[in-house]
Amino acid sequence: MRRTAGEVNKKTIYRYYDYSLLFLILFLVSFGLVMIYSTSSYNAQRMYGNATYYLERQALLAGAGILVMLFVSKIDYRIYFNNLPIIKVKPIIFLYFLCIGLQIYVLKFGEVINGAKRWISLGSLGRFQPSELSKIAVILFTTYIVQLAPRKLDKFTGFLRVVLFIAPLLGLIVIENFSTALVAGVIMVAICFVASKKKGYFVISAFLLIALGALLIILEPYRFERINIWQNVETHPKGYQILQGLYAIASGGVFGKGLGESMQKLGFIPEAHNDMIFSVICEELGLFGAFALILLFILLIWRIFIIAINAPDLTGGLIATGVMAHIATQVLINIAVVTNTIPSTGIPLPFISYGGSSVMVILFEMGIVLSISNQIKGEK
Amino acid sequence: MIRNRTYNRRNVFVAVVVIILVSVLLTVRLAYLMIYRSEEYAAMAKELHERERPIKAQRGSIFDRNGVEIATNKPVCTISVIYSQVKDPERVIDVLSDELGLSKEKVRKRVEKVSSIERIKSNVDKEVADKIREYKLEGVMVDEDYKRYYPYDSLASKVIGFTGGDNQGIIGLEVKYEEYLKGIDGTILTLTTAYGVEIENAAEDRIEPQAGNDLYLSLDVNIQKYAEQAALKVMEAKNANNVKLIVMNPQNGELYGMVNAPEFNLNDPYTLIDEIAREYEDQTLSSEKETELLNGMWRNACISDTYEPGSAFKIVTTTAAFEEGVVSLDDKFFCPGYKKVEDRIIRCHKAGGHGSQTFVDGIKNSCNPVFIDIGARVGVDKTYYYYEKLGLFSKTGVDLPGEANSIMHKKDIIKAVELATMSFGQSFQITPLQLLRATSAAINGGKLVTPHFGVSVKSWDGRIIKTLDYEETPEVVSKETSEIVKDLLEQVVSDGTGKRAYLPGLRVGGKTATSEKLPRRTGKYISSFIGFAPAQNPQVIAIVLIDEPTGIYYGGTIAAPVIAELFDNILPYMGVEPEYTEEEKQEYKIGTFVVPDFIGKTKSDAKALFKAYEFDELYSLGEGEVVTEQFPLPGETVDLNTSLVLYFD
Repeated sequence: MRRTAGEVNKKTIYRYYDYSLLFLILFLVSFGLVMIYSTSSYNAQRMYGNATYYLERQALLAGAGILVMLFVSKIDYRIYFNNLPIIKVKPIIFLYFLCIGLQIYVLKFGEVINGAKRWISLGSLGRFQPSELSKIAVILFTTYIVQLAPRKLDKFTGFLRVVLFIAPLLGLIVIENFSTALVAGVIMVAICFVASKKKGYFVISAFLLIALGALLIILEPYRFERINIWQNVETHPKGYQILQGLYAIASGGVFGKGLGESMQKLGFIPEAHNDMIFSVICEELGLFGAFALILLFILLIWRIFIIAINAPDLTGGLIATGVMAHIATQVLINIAVVTNTIPSTGIPLPFISYGGSSVMVILFEMGIVLSISNQIKGEK
Repeated sequence: MIRNRTYNRRNVFVAVVVIILVSVLLTVRLAYLMIYRSEEYAAMAKELHERERPIKAQRGSIFDRNGVEIATNKPVCTISVIYSQVKDPERVIDVLSDELGLSKEKVRKRVEKVSSIERIKSNVDKEVADKIREYKLEGVMVDEDYKRYYPYDSLASKVIGFTGGDNQGIIGLEVKYEEYLKGIDGTILTLTTAYGVEIENAAEDRIEPQAGNDLYLSLDVNIQKYAEQAALKVMEAKNANNVKLIVMNPQNGELYGMVNAPEFNLNDPYTLIDEIAREYEDQTLSSEKETELLNGMWRNACISDTYEPGSAFKIVTTTAAFEEGVVSLDDKFFCPGYKKVEDRIIRCHKAGGHGSQTFVDGIKNSCNPVFIDIGARVGVDKTYYYYEKLGLFSKTGVDLPGEANSIMHKKDIIKAVELATMSFGQSFQITPLQLLRATSAAINGGKLVTPHFGVSVKSWDGRIIKTLDYEETPEVVSKETSEIVKDLLEQVVSDGTGKRAYLPGLRVGGKTATSEKLPRRTGKYISSFIGFAPAQNPQVIAIVLIDEPTGIYYGGTIAAPVIAELFDNILPYMGVEPEYTEEEKQEYKIGTFVVPDFIGKTKSDAKALFKAYEFDELYSLGEGEVVTEQFPLPGETVDLNTSLVLYFD
C-alpha cells in the first residue's frame, strides 16, 4: 500500500494473517469430507448399516481439528522453544520425549490392524496413531536443533549432528511404519537443506539415504515383494489393490463419471476412503478433477512457501518449510503410489483421506503455519 | 532471533521448484493413464463389474401331425434370496416356508447363508410366485422361467421324452431334436458390486434369447391314444409284463404311434410308476437301484429291445423264397408234425401235423416244416442277401436315441439246423421296428423306408426351417413278390391263424407269432401280431408284442384282436372306407335302409313295423300308447342293425 507524504511518521504496525491459506485449508477439508462420503457410503452401509458412518466420524474430528488450528494459529510459535514459566521445560523437549514414549508404547501394546502395529486404542473415541504426532515432533525438533546453531549445518558434521538427535525417533517409527519414517526423514532433510549454505554433502547424504533404504528393503521381505508387485501389477496376485486403483483412475477418463458414480468404490478397491481415495477422485471427477486437486495442493504449498520466506525469523521459516515438506511428500508419494509410479506404501492423502490422527495433525501444523503468518509484521 | 537469510529463502524456493516439477511429472503420468490407457483399463474394469446372467431361451414345442401341441412350456418361477438385502429374515423365513411348503429349518438355512444369491426353490407355479411377490419382501427375488410341460402326461412318453433341469432333452425326441428345440440363450449384462450384488437401475445390456424351433411329428395323438388303450387293455387282461405297439404308414415310414405300455408321466418322470413301485413296496431303494429302475422305466423297448420274432418272420422267408423263385403258391408240402434236419427233429406247433398242404395252406397254418423246407431252398447266402436287403443287419435309422441292432449268426457258422430255425424266426433277435420295416417293404411294393417321427421343423412364427427327409431304398423287393405276399397275408387273416384280426370290409393282412422267450421251457412267451390294412393298398401297418402273457399265449388268439380293435378304430378315422364283398354283406348284414315313419303309431303297430325292418334293438321310452318322437328320424338312411328309439306319450 502506498504511503502518502503526510503519513510518513505515522507507522501502523499490523499483523498479517494468511486468509487465502485458511480458505485453501477449509476448502480441502470440505472437499475431503465430500469424497469420504462418496467413497465410504457403500461400505459403511454394508458393514454398519449407516451410510454416513465414516463421514460423521471424520467430520467430527475435522471440525475439532479446525478449532485446534484456529486456536494454535493465535499462539506465537516461539513459545514451543522457550521454557514454560513454572516447570522450566521447553514444550518441544517435552513433545519429543512424549513421542519417543508413545512410539515405544505402541510397539509394545499397540493395536494390530491389517498386520501392522501402529495404533493406540482410545476406547470409544477410536484409535490414535502416534507416528502422526511424531511428524510434528520431527518438524519442531529438527527446527529447534538447527536454529540452536544454524551455521554448523554448512558442514556435513553439522548435518550429522541433527540426524543423531532425530535418529532415535525415526528409528522407532521405521520399525513398524516405513512410509511415515520416510516422510519424517524427508522433512528433516528438507529443513536442514533450507538452513544450510553448502549443498555438496546433500548429494552424499542422498546416496547414504538410498543405501539405507535399500538395506531396509532387503531386510524386510515384504518390502522386497512390494517392488515385485510394482513391476508386475497386472499379473501379481497381490497387485490387486493397486490394479483396482488403476482401473478406477483410467476408467475416469478426461471428465470422470460424475460425483458418486464410481463403480470401483463398490468393494473393488478395499477401503476406498483411505489411502486409495485419489483413485476414486480420478474415476469420479476425471483428469480435470484430479488436476484441479493437484493445483490446489500446489497453491497451498505456494502459500506456505510465501510464509516461509517472509517469516520473521529462521525458526518460522524452517517450521514452514517442514510443514510444506510434510504435505508435499505425502501428496506426491500418495499420488505416485496410486498411479503405480512407485512401489506401494501406505501414505494417506493429506486433508482428504479418512483418518482422524492424520487430519488432526495436519490441521495442527497448519495452525502453526498460520501462526507464523500471523507474526509477519507489515506496515500500513 | 536468527534472521531468515537470502540463501534460506533461495533454498525454500529450490524445494518448491522440486515439488512443482514432481507434480508436473505425476500429472503427466495421470494424463497418460487417464487418456492413453483409459480405454484398455476401463474395459478391464467393466469386465470385472459386469455379470452375465443367462436368460433361458424358450424351448420349441412339439406338435403332432394335426398340429396338436404335445410338448410345450409353461411359466414357472424361481424364488431366491439375496442375503445382504434381507431386512426381516424371520418374516422371510415364515412366508417362504408357508407358501412354498418347505420346512422352516430348510428355508432358514438358505436365508441365513452368507452368499450373494441363494436359490430357495425353482419350478414354483406362477400363482404361488405371484402371491409371494405381493408380500413385497426385501431381499426376495422372483425370477420367471419356463418349464417343460406335456399336456397329455403319459402319452407316448418314451417317444417324446422329457427335459432336465437346464431344459435339455434327456430321452426320446427331446434329445434327438435338441439342436432344433433348444434355441439360443440370451444374456442380461448387469453391473454388480464386488460382492456380486446387482446394482439397481444400472444400465443393462440385454441380448434377447432366441426361442427354439417347433418340431412337427408324424405321430397322431388320436391314433396313439387308441393304440395305448388297446395295449393297456390287453396288458391288464393278460396280466402281461408290458405291451409294445407300433403303428406306421408302410408307404413312407411315418410313425403314427409307438406304445410301450406301461407308459410313465412325462410331467413327473422321476417318480416310479405304480407297476414298478409295487414290486419294491417294502424296500428302501438305494440311489443306484432307483436310477436303474428309472432307466428301465424310460426305456423305449420298441427300438431298444430285441426278441426272437418267431412265426411273423415267415413273411421274410416267404418274400425271399418268391424273390428267388424257389416256391410257387401251389407247391405241395407234407407236414407230419415235425421235420428232421440233419440229426435234429424240429417240431411243428401242431403236434399231429398239418398233413398234405399247398404253400398257401402252409402259411395260413403257419406250418414250420413248410418254411424249413423253403428256407433250405433259398440257402444261406441268398437268405442273408435278402436279410440285408430288408434292412435286418442295420438299424432302421428311426429318429429316436438308443436304437438297438439285430443279433444274427455269423454267416460262416450257419449250418442246416440254424438255417431251419431262422426260417421260422428263431435263433436270432431283431427289434420289433426292424420287423415292421422289413414287412413294410414286402407289402408296399418293395420300398425299404426309414421309420420316423420328425416331419418338419418350423420357427415360432411358422416358417419352415427344415423339412426332414429320410432315406428310401426302392425295389428291395419286386412288385410281383410284394403282391403275392400281400395276398398271402390277407389270406392268413381271412382264413388262417390270424383270423381274429379279421375286420369285414377292411381287408386286413397279417401274421401271428408266438415266441418262446430264452431260456426255453420256462413258459414265458411273447405273443405278437403284425398286421396291415387295407391289403390292396396298405395305409397302415402295426405290430403288437405282448410280453409274458398269463394263460393263453398264442399270438393268433390274444395279439391279433388287439390289432383288429386298433384298426377298427383308426381306419375310419384315417378315412379308409370299408369295401364289403357280397359274402361279407350277407354274413355281417352290411347295407343300409330308409327308416320308416313311426310317429302316430300305436305300440303294437310300431312293434310290427319294427320287426319288418333290420333294426338291432328297440328302446321304448315314456308311458303313453302313441309314438310322438323317434330316433333316427323318418326318411333317414341308416346302416343295417341300427338301434331304434321311440318315445310314447
